[in-house]
Amino acid sequence: MVLELHIWGPAFGLPSIDPHCLAAIAYLQQAVPRGKWQLIATSDPALSPTNELPALRNGDIWIGGFRNIFHYVAQFSSGEWVLDAGLPDQQGADCIAFSSFVEAHGQPLIDLSLYVSSQNYTSTTRPLYNSIQPFPLPYLTPPSVRATAKQRTAHLGLSSLDVDTEDADAAQEKSIIPESLRKSKNTVSSLLAANPESNAQIRLDALATNYFEPLQKIKGKKPYLVSDSQFSSLDCLALGYLSLMLIPSLPQPWLAKTMRKKFPDLCAWTEDMIENVFGGPVKAEDALLPNGGDSASAEQKAYLPWTAPKNGGAVGIGSVFLSSIADSIPIVGQLRRNTRMRLHGGKTLDDELHSSSWQGVAAISSIVAGLGLAVGYMFQQGLIPLSSGEEPVKEKNASLDTFGDAGAALSVFATQLDAEAQRQRMGESHGAPVAEVAVEAGPGGVTVTDNVA
Amino acid sequence: MPSDKTSDHKDGAPPAGQTSFAQHTSKIRHFFSIPAPVKVLFDKVPVLTYPPNDLPQRAPKPARIPSLYVFIKKEDAAAGRPSYNPSCLKWQTFLNFADINHRLMPSSNHASPSGVLPFLLPPSKTPQEAPTPITSNKLVKYVEEQGKTVEESSSMRYEAYQSLIDHRIRDAWVSIHPLPRALNFSAVAYHLYVSPTSSNPLVRASISHQLRSAAEAELLKHTAIIDTDDLYSEADKAFEALSILLGEDSWFFGTSQPTLFDASIFAYTQLLLDDELGWQEKKLCRALRRRANLVQHRERLLVRYFGGS
Repeated sequence: MVLELHIWGPAFGLPSIDPHCLAAIAYLQQAVPRGKWQLIATSDPALSPTNELPALRNGDIWIGGFRNIFHYVAQFSSGEWVLDAGLPDQQGADCIAFSSFVEAHGQPLIDLSLYVSSQNYTSTTRPLYNSIQPFPLPYLTPPSVRATAKQRTAHLGLSSLDVDTEDADAAQEKSIIPESLRKSKNTVSSLLAANPESNAQIRLDALATNYFEPLQKIKGKKPYLVSDSQFSSLDCLALGYLSLMLIPSLPQPWLAKTMRKKFPDLCAWTEDMIENVFGGPVKAEDALLPNGGDSASAEQKAYLPWTAPKNGGAVGIGSVFLSSIADSIPIVGQLRRNTRMRLHGGKTLDDELHSSSWQGVAAISSIVAGLGLAVGYMFQQGLIPLSSGEEPVKEKNASLDTFGDAGAALSVFATQLDAEAQRQRMGESHGAPVAEVAVEAGPGGVTVTDNVA
Repeated sequence: MPSDKTSDHKDGAPPAGQTSFAQHTSKIRHFFSIPAPVKVLFDKVPVLTYPPNDLPQRAPKPARIPSLYVFIKKEDAAAGRPSYNPSCLKWQTFLNFADINHRLMPSSNHASPSGVLPFLLPPSKTPQEAPTPITSNKLVKYVEEQGKTVEESSSMRYEAYQSLIDHRIRDAWVSIHPLPRALNFSAVAYHLYVSPTSSNPLVRASISHQLRSAAEAELLKHTAIIDTDDLYSEADKAFEALSILLGEDSWFFGTSQPTLFDASIFAYTQLLLDDELGWQEKKLCRALRRRANLVQHRERLLVRYFGGS
């Protein structure tokens, strides 16, 4: 059985746009013998049971998440395809600790550089999704990835990187002085405002340095991060993150710049590893077209066992499109996420008992609210009559209308008759004054109203 | 009195040119004046200003020593026992390391200016001026300003192993706590965080719902799905790595005195090994008990800084 590794598609000349996918590719490339696995750039996280890529498929078994993939590969080969086996205790511990470090502190940096920074996102990252996903999906995927990225980096207080550049343009247009007569004044504050990256430069630099420094120190002069001779899972993960920091050429290259300036050793290591593990730059066609393409990609094929993705035609794409729309609707999306979580984690009796009380309260209150809304709507629309006094009058009018054109003609005739009768009455009243006396007897006594026409 | 004035004004004959204007203003004034019966009533019942009330008995009194606001039971606070919240316990332990005499105040997130516990309220110098609370990220600086020192390790591994505690172990901790399917929610978290806040069932339901959804949101930030098995196995590996790092030493990184790192690992080991909390699902506790040196590390700190169990 051939293992299939499903990943996010290639970008920036790297085999994938996602650090975890890159790590999984590196791991399989190093651990699993050629011909035993295939690489498929599906770019559809709904395939995986954990709703994230990379995902590994073995027949009917789907494994999601790169750590689970490492475990599964070890299990599947009964301990043969493992990279970390045989590391000394101290190195094993370092491998675990630094893996956590690379992932936890690297993710915010990649988020900031590729997604949160407006300029990088609009000019580079978002267009990339067009090449790796079929048509309607690039409208949905990048914004949702960006929203998650913003959420993850909110605690760093660097949301200023995400700017509305349109605002700045509007402010400039308002000036009545013509462009030719205006002196360009590059004050410090205007320069900073035009470029939020330079504004936050000091903090970004500090963040990046705090990230690279421990990695540089643990690597020292060794060929691999923790071991002298052994390519470990930490190297896979670090390669995934570092290559996405170093390789992309972005309009705001603060991350790559810091890395090149202060940590040339790490840069050299990353470039070496990309050459050795991924076999140099990857083109989108290598991954997505059925038979590679020109001769240049044949070389690439020798490194990574690309197979063209089958995305199930229009129906498949349509269902993915609809499900991602459903996820982005506020309440429906939350419900979908909850069910997904339940399905994955095992249910317990206690859980059912406990959540049912809260769910019961929620259900009852929503039913009451819904009924109230419905009744209110009916009152507002007049479906339920509030007073029956006006109804017969309306029905009379309606009965004439039901005759259609004839009814309309009749009603004209009727108004004419009315007008004639009124004229007659007017004539009579001119002759002699008529006094109408209305007497009403009520509980308050007798009221007399005089009307003299 | 306005009413008297208007009547005076009416009686004295005004100059001819101002008559209409004066009448107009007097009308307006008349409108705002106090009606005679009300005035009589007010004259009979004069306004009396009482001296300001004393603060209620339970209001915090100005103290000579700083107060640390943490999640803790009342009787434990008086005895100076460990808090039941890891981030509170971490800073409580840190203050004990620095030998800063402080008192513990039972509190909740709603009382904190930043929305999270713990925070430290330094002693007020003047009774009128309220001291500014110090949040946890400024506590190290505060300790330095007090002239106390806590040793800092400068190992290159510090950051990496710290991230093990802050992410791997913390995520597992969060997941065993308030998730809907976690057995421990009703057994532990409900009694610690929900029932002390209020006795009203509606408020309790709302708070426990908030607690769970906050925990879920926290975990879902990093993954698309909460995979508890993965969280457990990662935490297990984290304990393994920390155990190897500690080795035969008394404190982490071979320092002569415990550091902030020891405090942050103690915050979790203490709570996981505390039988009084009554954990129902003991997977994580079992994973920790297998590492004898981490258990001993916790005992050592407990005896030295919290006076036994």
